[in-house]
Amino acid sequence: MFANYLIGLREGLEAALVVTILVAYLVKTDRRRLLPRVWGGVVVAVAVSLAFGAALTYGPRGLTFEAQELIGGTLSILAVGFVTWMVFWMARAARGLGGELRGAVDRAADGTRWSLVLVAVFAVGREGLETALFLWAATNAATREAVGATVPTWEPLLGAFLGLLTAVVIGYLIYAGALSLNLGRFFTWTGAFLILVAAGVLAYGLHDLQEAGSLPGLDRVLFDVSATVDPTSWYAVLLKGVFNFSPRTTWLEGVAWVLYVGPVLAAYLLLMRHRPARPVATAARA
Amino acid sequence: MSRRTLLVLAAVAAPLLAACTQNAGPAAEADTRSITISASDDACEVSAAEAPAGRVTFTVTNTGSQVNEFYLLGDDGARILGEVENIGPGVARQLVVTLPVGRYETACKPGMTGDGLRAGFTVTGSDGR
Repeated sequence: MFANYLIGLREGLEAALVVTILVAYLVKTDRRRLLPRVWGGVVVAVAVSLAFGAALTYGPRGLTFEAQELIGGTLSILAVGFVTWMVFWMARAARGLGGELRGAVDRAADGTRWSLVLVAVFAVGREGLETALFLWAATNAATREAVGATVPTWEPLLGAFLGLLTAVVIGYLIYAGALSLNLGRFFTWTGAFLILVAAGVLAYGLHDLQEAGSLPGLDRVLFDVSATVDPTSWYAVLLKGVFNFSPRTTWLEGVAWVLYVGPVLAAYLLLMRHRPARPVATAARA
Repeated sequence: MSRRTLLVLAAVAAPLLAACTQNAGPAAEADTRSITISASDDACEVSAAEAPAGRVTFTVTNTGSQVNEFYLLGDDGARILGEVENIGPGVARQLVVTLPVGRYETACKPGMTGDGLRAGFTVTGSDGR
Protein backbone atom coordinates (compact mmCIF):
# COMPACT_ATOMS: atom_id res chain seq x y z
CA MET A 1 0.00 0.00 0.00
CA PHE A 2 2.90 2.33 0.79
CA ALA A 3 4.15 2.11 -2.81
CA ASN A 4 0.75 3.16 -4.15
CA TYR A 5 0.63 5.88 -1.51
CA LEU A 6 3.89 7.32 -2.82
CA ILE A 7 2.60 7.30 -6.41
CA GLY A 8 -0.48 9.25 -5.29
CA LEU A 9 1.68 11.65 -3.28
CA ARG A 10 4.01 12.34 -6.20
CA GLU A 11 1.28 12.86 -8.78
CA GLY A 12 -0.65 14.99 -6.29
CA LEU A 13 2.31 17.23 -5.52
CA GLU A 14 3.03 17.71 -9.21
CA ALA A 15 -0.50 19.01 -9.63
CA ALA A 16 -0.82 20.97 -6.38
CA LEU A 17 2.29 23.16 -6.17
CA VAL A 18 1.64 25.71 -8.90
CA VAL A 19 -2.00 26.09 -7.92
CA THR A 20 -1.05 26.50 -4.26
CA ILE A 21 1.29 29.39 -5.00
CA LEU A 22 -1.12 31.03 -7.43
CA VAL A 23 -3.87 30.92 -4.81
CA ALA A 24 -1.53 32.26 -2.10
CA TYR A 25 -0.56 35.08 -4.42
CA LEU A 26 -4.14 36.07 -5.19
CA VAL A 27 -5.13 35.97 -1.53
CA LYS A 28 -2.03 37.85 -0.41
CA THR A 29 -2.49 40.65 -2.92
CA ASP A 30 -6.19 40.91 -2.12
CA ARG A 31 -7.43 39.54 -5.40
CA ARG A 32 -9.71 36.87 -4.02
CA ARG A 33 -12.29 37.63 -6.67
CA LEU A 34 -9.94 36.00 -9.20
CA LEU A 35 -9.89 32.72 -7.23
CA PRO A 36 -12.94 31.16 -8.95
CA ARG A 37 -11.00 31.23 -12.23
CA VAL A 38 -8.22 29.18 -10.70
CA TRP A 39 -10.58 26.70 -9.08
CA GLY A 40 -12.54 26.55 -12.33
CA GLY A 41 -9.37 25.58 -14.16
CA VAL A 42 -8.60 22.91 -11.57
CA VAL A 43 -12.10 21.44 -11.83
CA VAL A 44 -11.94 21.38 -15.64
CA ALA A 45 -8.53 19.66 -15.59
CA VAL A 46 -9.61 17.01 -13.07
CA ALA A 47 -12.93 16.34 -14.79
CA VAL A 48 -11.42 16.07 -18.27
CA SER A 49 -8.58 13.83 -17.04
CA LEU A 50 -10.88 11.47 -15.13
CA ALA A 51 -13.40 11.30 -17.97
CA PHE A 52 -10.75 10.73 -20.62
CA GLY A 53 -9.00 8.17 -18.43
CA ALA A 54 -12.29 6.34 -17.83
CA ALA A 55 -13.11 6.36 -21.54
CA LEU A 56 -9.72 4.85 -22.31
CA THR A 57 -9.95 2.28 -19.51
CA TYR A 58 -13.54 1.12 -19.91
CA GLY A 59 -14.39 2.25 -23.45
CA PRO A 60 -13.75 0.32 -26.63
CA ARG A 61 -10.59 2.24 -27.40
CA GLY A 62 -7.26 2.64 -25.62
CA LEU A 63 -4.32 4.87 -26.36
CA THR A 64 -1.04 3.90 -27.96
CA PHE A 65 2.11 4.34 -25.96
CA GLU A 66 3.46 7.03 -28.28
CA ALA A 67 0.22 9.01 -28.11
CA GLN A 68 0.17 8.98 -24.31
CA GLU A 69 3.77 10.17 -24.08
CA LEU A 70 3.10 12.81 -26.72
CA ILE A 71 0.13 14.14 -24.74
CA GLY A 72 2.06 14.22 -21.45
CA GLY A 73 5.10 15.83 -23.08
CA THR A 74 3.17 18.47 -25.02
CA LEU A 75 0.97 19.44 -22.08
CA SER A 76 4.04 19.69 -19.84
CA ILE A 77 5.81 22.05 -22.22
CA LEU A 78 2.63 24.15 -22.55
CA ALA A 79 2.44 24.21 -18.74
CA VAL A 80 6.01 25.55 -18.57
CA GLY A 81 4.99 28.40 -20.86
CA PHE A 82 2.00 29.30 -18.71
CA VAL A 83 3.85 29.01 -15.40
CA THR A 84 6.64 31.24 -16.73
CA TRP A 85 4.05 33.77 -17.81
CA MET A 86 2.45 33.53 -14.37
CA VAL A 87 5.73 34.19 -12.52
CA PHE A 88 6.34 37.37 -14.48
CA TRP A 89 2.72 38.41 -14.31
CA MET A 90 2.89 38.11 -10.51
CA ALA A 91 6.13 40.10 -10.43
CA ARG A 92 4.73 42.85 -12.67
CA ALA A 93 1.49 43.02 -10.74
CA ALA A 94 3.51 43.35 -7.54
CA ARG A 95 4.93 46.62 -8.77
CA GLY A 96 1.59 48.31 -8.80
CA LEU A 97 0.42 47.16 -5.43
CA GLY A 98 0.49 50.29 -3.36
CA GLY A 99 -0.42 53.06 -5.71
CA GLU A 100 -2.81 54.18 -8.38
CA LEU A 101 -1.13 51.73 -10.71
CA ARG A 102 -3.10 49.04 -9.01
CA GLY A 103 -6.26 49.79 -10.93
CA ALA A 104 -4.37 49.50 -14.18
CA VAL A 105 -2.83 46.21 -13.13
CA ASP A 106 -6.20 44.79 -12.17
CA ARG A 107 -7.69 45.84 -15.47
CA ALA A 108 -4.84 43.96 -17.08
CA ALA A 109 -5.71 40.98 -14.90
CA ASP A 110 -9.22 41.08 -16.36
CA GLY A 111 -7.67 40.83 -19.78
CA THR A 112 -5.73 37.79 -18.67
CA ARG A 113 -8.56 36.00 -16.94
CA TRP A 114 -8.44 33.10 -19.36
CA SER A 115 -4.72 32.88 -18.84
CA LEU A 116 -5.32 32.34 -15.12
CA VAL A 117 -7.79 29.57 -15.94
CA LEU A 118 -5.33 28.01 -18.39
CA VAL A 119 -2.44 28.10 -15.91
CA ALA A 120 -4.55 25.99 -13.56
CA VAL A 121 -5.76 23.71 -16.37
CA PHE A 122 -2.25 22.91 -17.60
CA ALA A 123 -0.59 22.78 -14.18
CA VAL A 124 -3.10 20.17 -13.00
CA GLY A 125 -3.94 18.56 -16.32
CA ARG A 126 -0.47 17.91 -17.70
CA GLU A 127 -0.07 14.76 -15.63
CA GLY A 128 -3.81 14.35 -15.17
CA LEU A 129 -4.23 11.62 -17.75
CA GLU A 130 -1.46 9.44 -16.32
CA THR A 131 -2.85 9.95 -12.81
CA ALA A 132 -6.38 9.16 -13.98
CA LEU A 133 -5.23 6.00 -15.77
CA PHE A 134 -3.45 4.93 -12.59
CA LEU A 135 -6.52 5.67 -10.44
CA TRP A 136 -8.83 3.75 -12.74
CA ALA A 137 -6.37 0.84 -12.79
CA ALA A 138 -6.42 0.95 -8.97
CA THR A 139 -10.22 1.00 -9.08
CA ASN A 140 -10.13 -2.00 -11.38
CA ALA A 141 -7.90 -3.79 -8.88
CA ALA A 142 -10.62 -3.33 -6.27
CA THR A 143 -13.53 -4.40 -8.44
CA ARG A 144 -12.08 -7.13 -10.67
CA GLU A 145 -12.84 -10.81 -10.37
CA ALA A 146 -10.19 -13.03 -8.90
CA VAL A 147 -8.05 -14.60 -11.62
CA GLY A 148 -5.28 -16.88 -10.39
CA ALA A 149 -2.95 -14.91 -8.13
CA THR A 150 -4.70 -11.59 -8.71
CA VAL A 151 -7.41 -11.24 -6.10
CA PRO A 152 -9.47 -8.06 -5.75
CA THR A 153 -7.90 -5.54 -3.37
CA TRP A 154 -8.82 -2.06 -2.23
CA GLU A 155 -5.30 -1.34 -1.07
CA PRO A 156 -4.02 0.37 -4.26
CA LEU A 157 -6.98 2.75 -4.43
CA LEU A 158 -6.86 3.51 -0.71
CA GLY A 159 -3.09 4.08 -0.86
CA ALA A 160 -3.41 6.37 -3.87
CA PHE A 161 -6.15 8.43 -2.21
CA LEU A 162 -4.15 8.81 1.00
CA GLY A 163 -1.20 9.94 -1.12
CA LEU A 164 -3.30 12.53 -2.95
CA LEU A 165 -4.71 13.66 0.40
CA THR A 166 -1.19 14.10 1.79
CA ALA A 167 -0.30 16.19 -1.28
CA VAL A 168 -3.29 18.45 -0.56
CA VAL A 169 -2.20 18.82 3.09
CA ILE A 170 1.37 19.67 2.01
CA GLY A 171 -0.09 22.14 -0.49
CA TYR A 172 -2.08 23.75 2.30
CA LEU A 173 0.99 23.99 4.55
CA ILE A 174 2.96 25.66 1.75
CA TYR A 175 0.01 28.03 1.26
CA ALA A 176 -0.06 28.91 4.95
CA GLY A 177 3.72 29.29 5.03
CA ALA A 178 3.68 31.53 1.95
CA LEU A 179 0.99 33.72 3.49
CA SER A 180 3.12 34.32 6.56
CA LEU A 181 6.06 35.68 4.53
CA ASN A 182 6.26 39.40 3.99
CA LEU A 183 5.40 40.39 0.46
CA GLY A 184 8.93 41.11 -0.71
CA ARG A 185 10.20 37.74 0.40
CA PHE A 186 7.07 36.07 -0.88
CA PHE A 187 7.78 37.24 -4.41
CA THR A 188 11.47 36.42 -4.40
CA TRP A 189 10.99 32.94 -2.96
CA THR A 190 7.83 31.80 -4.72
CA GLY A 191 9.08 33.19 -8.03
CA ALA A 192 12.44 31.45 -7.80
CA PHE A 193 10.75 28.27 -6.56
CA LEU A 194 8.26 28.26 -9.42
CA ILE A 195 11.05 28.78 -11.95
CA LEU A 196 12.82 25.67 -10.60
CA VAL A 197 9.54 23.75 -10.66
CA ALA A 198 8.89 24.84 -14.24
CA ALA A 199 12.41 23.85 -15.30
CA GLY A 200 11.76 20.36 -13.92
CA VAL A 201 8.49 20.18 -15.81
CA LEU A 202 10.30 21.21 -18.99
CA ALA A 203 12.90 18.45 -18.56
CA TYR A 204 10.13 15.99 -17.77
CA GLY A 205 8.14 16.99 -20.85
CA LEU A 206 11.20 16.63 -23.07
CA HIS A 207 11.82 13.19 -21.57
CA ASP A 208 8.26 12.18 -22.46
CA LEU A 209 8.84 13.35 -26.04
CA GLN A 210 12.11 11.40 -26.10
CA GLU A 211 10.24 8.31 -24.98
CA ALA A 212 7.62 8.88 -27.64
CA GLY A 213 10.44 8.98 -30.19
CA SER A 214 9.59 12.56 -31.20
CA LEU A 215 12.95 13.75 -29.88
CA PRO A 216 16.25 11.83 -30.04
CA GLY A 217 18.83 11.09 -27.37
CA LEU A 218 16.93 8.94 -24.89
CA ASP A 219 19.97 6.74 -24.32
CA ARG A 220 22.42 9.65 -24.08
CA VAL A 221 22.50 9.89 -20.33
CA LEU A 222 24.03 12.92 -18.62
CA PHE A 223 24.06 11.32 -15.17
CA ASP A 224 22.51 8.29 -13.56
CA VAL A 225 22.37 8.30 -9.78
CA SER A 226 19.53 5.80 -9.50
CA ALA A 227 21.93 3.42 -7.72
CA THR A 228 22.39 6.03 -4.95
CA VAL A 229 19.03 7.77 -5.00
CA ASP A 230 16.56 4.91 -4.75
CA PRO A 231 13.57 5.99 -6.90
CA THR A 232 11.18 4.22 -4.51
CA SER A 233 12.39 6.15 -1.44
CA TRP A 234 10.24 8.91 0.03
CA TYR A 235 12.84 11.62 -0.61
CA ALA A 236 13.23 10.62 -4.26
CA VAL A 237 9.44 10.77 -4.52
CA LEU A 238 9.39 14.27 -2.99
CA LEU A 239 12.22 15.44 -5.28
CA LYS A 240 10.37 14.02 -8.27
CA GLY A 241 7.01 15.40 -7.19
CA VAL A 242 8.30 18.91 -6.48
CA PHE A 243 11.20 19.51 -8.87
CA ASN A 244 10.67 16.59 -11.26
CA PHE A 245 14.18 15.48 -10.44
CA SER A 246 14.94 12.31 -12.36
CA PRO A 247 17.79 10.15 -10.99
CA ARG A 248 18.53 9.21 -14.59
CA THR A 249 18.70 12.40 -16.64
CA THR A 250 19.48 12.60 -20.37
CA TRP A 251 21.70 15.23 -21.94
CA LEU A 252 18.75 16.91 -23.62
CA GLU A 253 16.91 17.20 -20.29
CA GLY A 254 19.95 18.53 -18.45
CA VAL A 255 20.88 21.08 -21.10
CA ALA A 256 17.29 22.30 -21.44
CA TRP A 257 17.05 22.64 -17.65
CA VAL A 258 20.17 24.82 -17.49
CA LEU A 259 19.18 26.87 -20.56
CA TYR A 260 15.80 27.56 -18.99
CA VAL A 261 16.84 28.24 -15.39
CA GLY A 262 19.83 30.45 -16.28
CA PRO A 263 18.18 33.24 -18.28
CA VAL A 264 14.72 33.05 -16.68
CA LEU A 265 15.97 33.15 -13.10
CA ALA A 266 18.42 35.95 -13.96
CA ALA A 267 15.67 37.99 -15.64
CA TYR A 268 13.37 37.42 -12.69
CA LEU A 269 15.92 38.42 -10.03
CA LEU A 270 16.81 41.54 -12.04
CA LEU A 271 13.15 42.47 -12.25
CA MET A 272 12.71 41.95 -8.52
CA ARG A 273 15.77 44.05 -7.71
CA HIS A 274 14.48 47.00 -9.68
CA ARG A 275 11.13 46.85 -8.02
CA PRO A 276 10.42 50.07 -6.11
CA ALA A 277 10.57 49.47 -2.37
CA ARG A 278 7.67 51.65 -1.27
CA PRO A 279 4.72 49.68 -2.64
CA VAL A 280 6.01 46.57 -0.90
CA ALA A 281 6.12 48.36 2.43
CA THR A 282 2.62 49.72 1.89
CA ALA A 283 1.21 46.36 0.96
CA ALA A 284 2.99 44.61 3.79
CA ARG A 285 1.17 46.85 6.24
CA ALA A 286 -2.14 46.24 4.53
CA MET B 1 -16.83 28.69 -22.61
CA SER B 2 -14.97 31.10 -24.82
CA ARG B 3 -14.02 30.44 -28.38
CA ARG B 4 -10.35 30.40 -27.39
CA THR B 5 -10.91 27.69 -24.81
CA LEU B 6 -12.86 25.64 -27.33
CA LEU B 7 -10.02 26.01 -29.78
CA VAL B 8 -7.52 24.82 -27.19
CA LEU B 9 -9.74 21.86 -26.33
CA ALA B 10 -10.14 21.01 -30.01
CA ALA B 11 -6.40 21.26 -30.56
CA VAL B 12 -5.87 18.81 -27.73
CA ALA B 13 -8.72 16.50 -28.63
CA ALA B 14 -8.06 16.09 -32.35
CA PRO B 15 -4.71 14.28 -32.14
CA LEU B 16 -6.07 12.22 -29.25
CA LEU B 17 -8.93 10.88 -31.29
CA ALA B 18 -6.57 10.12 -34.14
CA ALA B 19 -4.21 8.29 -31.80
CA CYS B 20 -6.84 6.02 -30.29
CA THR B 21 -6.46 2.34 -30.63
CA GLN B 22 -8.75 -0.64 -30.19
CA ASN B 23 -8.98 -1.90 -26.62
CA ALA B 24 -8.75 -5.63 -26.06
CA GLY B 25 -12.25 -7.07 -26.33
CA PRO B 26 -13.88 -9.75 -24.19
CA ALA B 27 -12.32 -12.43 -26.38
CA ALA B 28 -8.88 -11.13 -25.46
CA GLU B 29 -8.02 -14.19 -23.37
CA ALA B 30 -7.65 -16.36 -26.43
CA ASP B 31 -6.09 -13.66 -28.58
CA THR B 32 -2.48 -14.36 -29.47
CA ARG B 33 -1.83 -10.63 -29.59
CA SER B 34 -2.84 -10.33 -25.97
CA ILE B 35 0.06 -11.01 -23.62
CA THR B 36 -0.19 -11.07 -19.85
CA ILE B 37 2.72 -10.41 -17.55
CA SER B 38 2.89 -11.32 -13.90
CA ALA B 39 5.44 -8.99 -12.36
CA SER B 40 6.69 -9.57 -8.83
CA ASP B 41 9.65 -8.04 -6.97
CA ASP B 42 12.02 -10.68 -8.35
CA ALA B 43 10.32 -12.23 -11.38
CA CYS B 44 8.75 -11.17 -14.65
CA GLU B 45 6.60 -13.94 -16.09
CA VAL B 46 5.51 -13.28 -19.66
CA SER B 47 2.62 -15.50 -20.82
CA ALA B 48 4.08 -16.01 -24.31
CA ALA B 49 7.47 -15.34 -25.86
CA GLU B 50 6.01 -14.51 -29.25
CA ALA B 51 3.05 -12.88 -30.94
CA PRO B 52 1.94 -12.23 -34.52
CA ALA B 53 2.74 -8.80 -35.95
CA GLY B 54 0.21 -6.09 -35.32
CA ARG B 55 -1.28 -4.32 -32.35
CA VAL B 56 -0.08 -6.22 -29.31
CA THR B 57 -1.57 -5.65 -25.86
CA PHE B 58 0.56 -6.34 -22.80
CA THR B 59 -1.38 -6.50 -19.55
CA VAL B 60 1.04 -6.21 -16.65
CA THR B 61 -0.12 -7.20 -13.17
CA ASN B 62 2.08 -6.28 -10.23
CA THR B 63 2.04 -9.15 -7.73
CA GLY B 64 4.97 -7.76 -5.73
CA SER B 65 5.29 -5.05 -3.10
CA GLN B 66 7.33 -2.47 -5.04
CA VAL B 67 6.22 -0.12 -7.78
CA ASN B 68 6.92 -1.75 -11.12
CA GLU B 69 7.49 -0.60 -14.68
CA PHE B 70 7.24 -2.59 -17.87
CA TYR B 71 9.23 -1.90 -21.03
CA LEU B 72 9.21 -3.28 -24.51
CA LEU B 73 12.64 -2.72 -26.04
CA GLY B 74 14.27 -3.21 -29.41
CA ASP B 75 16.64 -6.16 -29.83
CA ASP B 76 19.54 -3.83 -28.97
CA GLY B 77 18.04 -3.73 -25.47
CA ALA B 78 18.03 0.07 -25.47
CA ARG B 79 15.46 1.48 -27.91
CA ILE B 80 12.13 1.89 -26.10
CA LEU B 81 9.11 0.83 -28.14
CA GLY B 82 6.72 1.11 -25.27
CA GLU B 83 6.61 1.49 -21.55
CA VAL B 84 4.07 1.68 -18.78
CA GLU B 85 5.00 3.25 -15.46
CA ASN B 86 3.30 3.56 -12.10
CA ILE B 87 2.23 -0.07 -11.84
CA GLY B 88 1.62 -0.06 -8.11
CA PRO B 89 1.35 -3.28 -6.09
CA GLY B 90 -1.91 -5.08 -6.88
CA VAL B 91 -2.54 -2.94 -9.94
CA ALA B 92 -2.80 -4.19 -13.54
CA ARG B 93 -2.03 -1.84 -16.41
CA GLN B 94 -1.97 -2.14 -20.17
CA LEU B 95 0.58 -1.27 -22.79
CA VAL B 96 -0.56 -1.24 -26.40
CA VAL B 97 2.11 -1.18 -29.11
CA THR B 98 2.01 -1.80 -32.82
CA LEU B 99 4.83 -4.21 -33.61
CA PRO B 100 6.29 -5.21 -36.95
CA VAL B 101 8.01 -8.58 -37.41
CA GLY B 102 11.25 -8.69 -35.48
CA ARG B 103 13.03 -9.53 -32.26
CA TYR B 104 12.43 -7.54 -29.09
CA GLU B 105 13.06 -7.63 -25.38
CA THR B 106 10.58 -7.36 -22.52
CA ALA B 107 11.68 -5.92 -19.20
CA CYS B 108 10.06 -5.51 -15.79
CA LYS B 109 11.69 -2.98 -13.49
CA PRO B 110 10.60 -3.64 -9.93
CA GLY B 111 11.58 -0.62 -7.84
CA MET B 112 11.97 1.44 -11.05
CA THR B 113 15.71 0.94 -11.09
CA GLY B 114 18.39 -1.12 -12.82
CA ASP B 115 18.28 -2.86 -16.17
CA GLY B 116 15.20 -4.83 -15.30
CA LEU B 117 14.29 -8.49 -15.61
CA ARG B 118 14.59 -9.17 -19.29
CA ALA B 119 13.43 -11.79 -21.72
CA GLY B 120 13.43 -12.15 -25.49
CA PHE B 121 10.20 -11.55 -27.38
CA THR B 122 9.65 -12.45 -31.02
CA VAL B 123 7.05 -11.02 -33.36
CA THR B 124 6.28 -13.36 -36.23
CA GLY B 125 4.61 -12.82 -39.61
CA SER B 126 0.97 -11.90 -39.35
CA ASP B 127 -1.36 -14.88 -39.04
CA GLY B 128 -3.59 -13.38 -41.70
CA ARG B 129 -6.23 -11.76 -39.52
